Amino acid sequence: MISFFTLLERELYRFGRLAAQTIAPPFVTTALFIVIFGYSLGQKIGAIAGFPYILFILPGLSGMSIITNSFSNSSSSLYMARMDRSIENILVAPISSFRIVLSFVVGGIVRGLTVGIVTMLTAYIMTDLTIHNIPLALLFVILISTIFSALGVIAALWGNDWEHLAAFSTFILAPLSYLGGTFYSIATLPPLWKKVSLSNPMYYMVDGYRSAILGHSDVSLTIALAFSSGLACITFLCAVFLFKKGYRIIV
Amino acid sequence: MEAAISINKLSKTYKKTEALKSLSLEIPMGEFFGLLGPNGAGKTTLIKTIVGLARPTSGSILVFGQNIQDYPLKTKAVIGLSPQEQNIDRYFTVRKILEFQGGYFGLRHKERRQKAEELLGKFNLTDKVDEEFWKLSGGMQRRVMIARSLMASPKILILDEPTAGIDVEQRHELWDFLKNLNRDGTTIILTTHYIDEAEYLCERVAIIDAGQIVEMGFPKELIKKHCEQYFLVNGEKKKDLMGLTVDQVQVHQGDLEQVFIKLTGKKLESA
Ligand SMILES: Nc1ncnc2c1ncn2[C@@H]1O[C@H](COP(=O)(O)OP(=O)(O)OP(=O)(O)O)[C@@H](O)[C@H]1O
Ligand SMILES: [Mg+2]
Repeated sequence: MISFFTLLERELYRFGRLAAQTIAPPFVTTALFIVIFGYSLGQKIGAIAGFPYILFILPGLSGMSIITNSFSNSSSSLYMARMDRSIENILVAPISSFRIVLSFVVGGIVRGLTVGIVTMLTAYIMTDLTIHNIPLALLFVILISTIFSALGVIAALWGNDWEHLAAFSTFILAPLSYLGGTFYSIATLPPLWKKVSLSNPMYYMVDGYRSAILGHSDVSLTIALAFSSGLACITFLCAVFLFKKGYRIIV
Repeated sequence: MEAAISINKLSKTYKKTEALKSLSLEIPMGEFFGLLGPNGAGKTTLIKTIVGLARPTSGSILVFGQNIQDYPLKTKAVIGLSPQEQNIDRYFTVRKILEFQGGYFGLRHKERRQKAEELLGKFNLTDKVDEEFWKLSGGMQRRVMIARSLMASPKILILDEPTAGIDVEQRHELWDFLKNLNRDGTTIILTTHYIDEAEYLCERVAIIDAGQIVEMGFPKELIKKHCEQYFLVNGEKKKDLMGLTVDQVQVHQGDLEQVFIKLTGKKLESA
């Protein structure tokens, strides 16, 4: 147990030194979106599902920040550790793969929670947002960060270049998030795109998160919750499996 | 006596390279063991398989009688490693590096701090505790790595070229330190390209070449076995001198290392 907490301490020590870099960007992004879509463009777009446009997209916006941050936290941490070989020092210590991966993932969750709270706080101050169900919202933040931290671990094992990690973000995470109902309700989509959205795993997470925040959801909350938890388990176990196999870390 | 490490027909093949070829080796508890061999002989590979950084292609490794593949955590817990190549979070301070290491091996905060203090003192690093690792000189970095490997007071200490880049004075202090550590019961395995170092420190050495042990034994015996021994008197080889053999005579002429220390070093009082 001590070894796990030390790993976590290491993750947070790393992250603590980057605190400003973690907190400022989501704050700025959210504030910018609120100014543009809330005060200016949003007036023209009109309400979705009875919510002003800016309120409707806030959860998605926050979700995207959480996704990018938790992913980049675990992926850059592990990738760096592979590059400077400090991962080898962790591998020769008596710590199970499960705990090592868990420490990277919990590091990503902490970062995801920080970002989630910063964006929601910014929105709370700048708009008339009230959060429908705070514990449920936090639960979704945790589930979403778990999924993407675990994917970050997988990407960091798979990548052999910083470019690979960037490619993972650009070609996998970005399309999934933009097509995941961040900026729209599927009720407004033509049938074909509705199907596409519904087959996007991201959609259920964003929708669940939105329902926790606004109290409105497209699909049922139970489905969103079950889906997100299931995916969190699967991605985490995949990450542990790859790590245990020593994929690209043990020769 | 129980073997600290016993290796049985170990082979390791990287994609194309056969780095270890059915190598067998037994290192008794408490021994100071030296691994010598040219570049690419397989020394580091052998070490990596022992600590679990490389997977054996075939063969087995037991640490205190336990197979490392069946009990990876138990066997890792008793081994301290100072690798040939740096594997450190370069932006962490020396203190953090040591304390985190203690934590990985299960030491509590207070124990970690104490042990780190103690080791930093022994390795003359006390004034660098709060410096980030990358700002240290090469030799200091090497010493941090050795100190780090000792954080958990390992029963088996593995040092892969520990004295590369360390100045003469620090090297002699390190030698004394290692000798004492070994006397107190730590099994030590060391690789080095400095033959004098192996001769001075190691009870037994193995010479590895192309993934196989080509010779193993006590340095004195190996020298006797492989070297022609004679006196050179005014350029003339003599097998015996006044009825004495080479073994029985010592000539003290001093050596370059002593000159170096005399000119550059003021032996620090060891803490
Ligand atoms: N990760 C790897 N992938 C492929 N080949 C490797 C790898 N590591 C080592 N080798 C090869 O295995 C052989 C043994 O290398 P090793 O590092 O064990 O040698 P060594 O005895 O430690 O040499 P040195 O004295 O230079 O440190 C070399 O031919 C090397 O190129
Ligand atoms: Mg080597």
